[in-house]
Amino acid sequence: MRKPLSVALLLVAASVTPALAETVLEKIGRTGLLTAGTRTASIPFAFINEKNEWIGFSVDFLEAVRARLEKKLGKPIKLDKKEVTPATRIPLVANRTIDVECGSTTYTRGRDETVDFTINFFFTGSQLLVKRGSGIKSVADVAGKRVGATQGTTNEKALRVSQPRADVVTFQDHAAGFLALDQGKIVAYVTDGILLAGLAAKSKNPKDWEVVGDFFSKDPYSCIVPENDSKWRDFVNHTLMELIDNGKYFEMYDQWFGEKGVVPYPMSAQVRNYMIMQSMPE
Amino acid sequence: MSVSRILGLQYEFRWSVLWESPYGEWLLQGIKNTVVLSLLAWLVALVLGIALGFLRTAPWRIPRALATGYVEFFRNTPLLVQLFFWYFAVPQVLPAGPWRDALNSLNLQTPILTVNYEFLAGLGGLGVYTSARVGETIRAGIQAIPRQQTEAALSSGLSLGQAYRYVLIPVGLRIVIPPMATEFLSIFKNSSLAVTIGFAEVTFQTQQVNSYTFKGLEAVTAATLIYLAISLTIAAFMNRLERRYAIPGLIARGATRE
Repeated sequence: MRKPLSVALLLVAASVTPALAETVLEKIGRTGLLTAGTRTASIPFAFINEKNEWIGFSVDFLEAVRARLEKKLGKPIKLDKKEVTPATRIPLVANRTIDVECGSTTYTRGRDETVDFTINFFFTGSQLLVKRGSGIKSVADVAGKRVGATQGTTNEKALRVSQPRADVVTFQDHAAGFLALDQGKIVAYVTDGILLAGLAAKSKNPKDWEVVGDFFSKDPYSCIVPENDSKWRDFVNHTLMELIDNGKYFEMYDQWFGEKGVVPYPMSAQVRNYMIMQSMPE
Repeated sequence: MSVSRILGLQYEFRWSVLWESPYGEWLLQGIKNTVVLSLLAWLVALVLGIALGFLRTAPWRIPRALATGYVEFFRNTPLLVQLFFWYFAVPQVLPAGPWRDALNSLNLQTPILTVNYEFLAGLGGLGVYTSARVGETIRAGIQAIPRQQTEAALSSGLSLGQAYRYVLIPVGLRIVIPPMATEFLSIFKNSSLAVTIGFAEVTFQTQQVNSYTFKGLEAVTAATLIYLAISLTIAAFMNRLERRYAIPGLIARGATRE
């Protein structure tokens, strides 16, 4: 499921890539296909709902990229979604198996050495999800306790740094981590606050859970694009800028994170200003 | 640091991530955990497998049917699914209460490794899955023994249990050393699936190295070489065992060299 496979894919993909010089935009123009990686259990960014539909905020954004591609290239473009995990998303973009990954990926300078990032489409940070009334209020309270995180995430690293005395148990996706928390295998599960709110909101009894503690990492979300293809990165960036300028971004935000959204997480004034500032004039 | 081109890809190799601190220590930890988990799981598989081989060939209908059911169930479902079953479902069979909680949150430091439920689930899953396969191999070994030898054992005054204990199982095991070597090798490779239930073995640690350094090719190369080294060591060991214990005239053709 994970890296050994992805590297095998990497070699296969690399061997069938016709020419190194072909940019992502040229490839999409040639094939009529936007191959995008995204997640399957990152609520509400990219997840599979009860009706077995693959939806979410990031999926909507990919759809907007596809629509803008059709306009630019003047031909029908199909969006082909591929599942990625935190462990596979960077190799799969680096080896160009996927053209772009939009899910719930934190932009870090370390990752930027291997792949490129677009401008940010969301802001959050590491927090803890605990059973209501557990007595755990912050990352300081989990010393010597078993705490869960998804392997390979910024949250896992932040947890190990912020609380070196925690026994970290890793999972391959949030669904498994949440199940382990529910069964008492761990006392807290760590990931970005917004994802924790999503896990709680989708659980049987949302009231049984609470997201606690200050952010102990900052996690701005961006899409991953291949290194050294600035035309393609510009294209994805400009798609987001257009959505911010014409207000569609805020409608999308409201649809997923508003009061009636899948995961209520109202946008702060600070974040709203930041998003507007990120959009450059035409 | 040199930029290399592999199959048209630009990639900067940095092999030192495999021994730099702390990554080198992580890999060594992973190797230790892989070896401990696999060896203990092999012990489980061998003990259960011998029992299965016995029951599958014994002349008792109901135990034989039960053993057949066990083999078909554990041999014909994916190990990955079985591991999830052991990790997430098995403890929930216990009644809710302190016992179940203690099992789920087990965290026992031993000099060799941390015994937690991730380890126990991996041990149970890997051991039981392999036991079904080992049991079939041993059954084949026992059935390869000529019927006359069983009859001779019984007519010399041995009970059925004694015939198994002193003749059928020892001889059967010696016949099936080559396929058992394959099973023994498989358990080390299959142990990599324990990463999915959070057990920190070699695959887990190489993924950690990748996620901290973004040097995925180096990390996967390390994993490949580590598994290869473990497997070749075991293959060499099993070859010696085979030469030593092969039964002359049975499958010994080519295996015994004076």
